[in-house]
Amino acid sequence: MELIINGSKRELQLESRTLAEVIDKLGLSGKPVVAEVDGEVLVAEQWPAFAVMPGMKIELVHFVGGG
Amino acid sequence: MGKESGLKERYSRQMLFAPIGEEGQRKLLESTVCIIGMGALGTVLANHMVRSGVGRVRMVDRDYVEPSNLQRQMLFDEADAAEALPKVVAARNKLQRINSEIELEAVFTDVTPANVLELIQDVDLVLDGTDNFQTRFLLNDACFSKRVPFVYGGAVSSRGMSAVFIPGVTPCLRCFIQSADAGGQTCDTVGVISPIVDIVASYQAVEALKYLSGAAEARRDSLLTLDIWHNQYYAMKLGKPREACPCCGLKQYPALREEEATLLSLCGRDSIQISGHEPFDLALWHQRLSPAVRNTKVNDYLLRATLPEGERLVLFADGRLLVQGTDDPARAKTLVARYIGS
Ligand SMILES: [Zn+2]
Repeated sequence: MELIINGSKRELQLESRTLAEVIDKLGLSGKPVVAEVDGEVLVAEQWPAFAVMPGMKIELVHFVGGG
Repeated sequence: MGKESGLKERYSRQMLFAPIGEEGQRKLLESTVCIIGMGALGTVLANHMVRSGVGRVRMVDRDYVEPSNLQRQMLFDEADAAEALPKVVAARNKLQRINSEIELEAVFTDVTPANVLELIQDVDLVLDGTDNFQTRFLLNDACFSKRVPFVYGGAVSSRGMSAVFIPGVTPCLRCFIQSADAGGQTCDTVGVISPIVDIVASYQAVEALKYLSGAAEARRDSLLTLDIWHNQYYAMKLGKPREACPCCGLKQYPALREEEATLLSLCGRDSIQISGHEPFDLALWHQRLSPAVRNTKVNDYLLRATLPEGERLVLFADGRLLVQGTDDPARAKTLVARYIGS
């Protein structure tokens, strides 16, 4: 499925077609990440139930811990 | 020149900036902020607060100045590192010379569930200068339980982030993330360049100035993400507090309830901190350890020595111990048992 992730086109092989799977495929599961899909903020507990559609614009914001 | 005209001279350019003006400047002078963490972000934050004339600035940090800090921690110099001065003490010394009219409080301690509420008591705003999520969650929970605004900032590599969290108005850190796993991305593993630190801390500082000078309507209502090397910028709308949030919705403030860990690994720094010991008489321990160790350095705050095994041991007057050169808690415990006893 083709998705637009952080402004770039990405082709991902998905089975369950959920946001949780997208984030897992990108190696970000368990990391301090929040997603924004078409302007809606989605936190980790919402990802398994959120279905992704081709062409969706997904912004993944990875929180920065240093300082 | 009277004190009033002296103030006018010092802050004249800031008061000419219409959104602050004389009224805003007066409010700044009557304000108190607490900066937790006096590393890269914290030193930039303190510099801005003190020069801008925020009346009272409390600085809290558990660490001392080392040569590797000098690349980006703007208030420290080679003499501070040679003296192994606590960062809060070195910062206070420098800031006093910059603005002697500000009340500066240097608190040399580790922030824990046991002391965090006291540290943020009576302050108008808390600025995040910490280097790990564990402490940030603790600050977030403490601030939201006491309804104190918390200005988050983080920087690593060339990436940075900042947001203003206001209890009852905006979401908090826990509204967005639950995990404290930084995935190995810390300043001690992937490095950091100094411009991102200045930029992030300056974004935090300007939000503090807006809030404290009474310009609440000017607040930036987004979570800002930057990568200044790869030229990326993204501002995500903060939105509303989340009902299922352990702070905003459920009012549980989990980090305040955590048992204080006796062993704590400092994020990827190849060092282990052990707390819970009685306060150390540093002069006495200096005498005791001298025959066995080398390169000892002692000041009013700490005793540092290189062990024959290769690791470095740091004893703090308040009872904390640091074993540097290992990330293995068992190894740290062994060395502490060998030289300090239990
Ligand atoms: Zn929240």
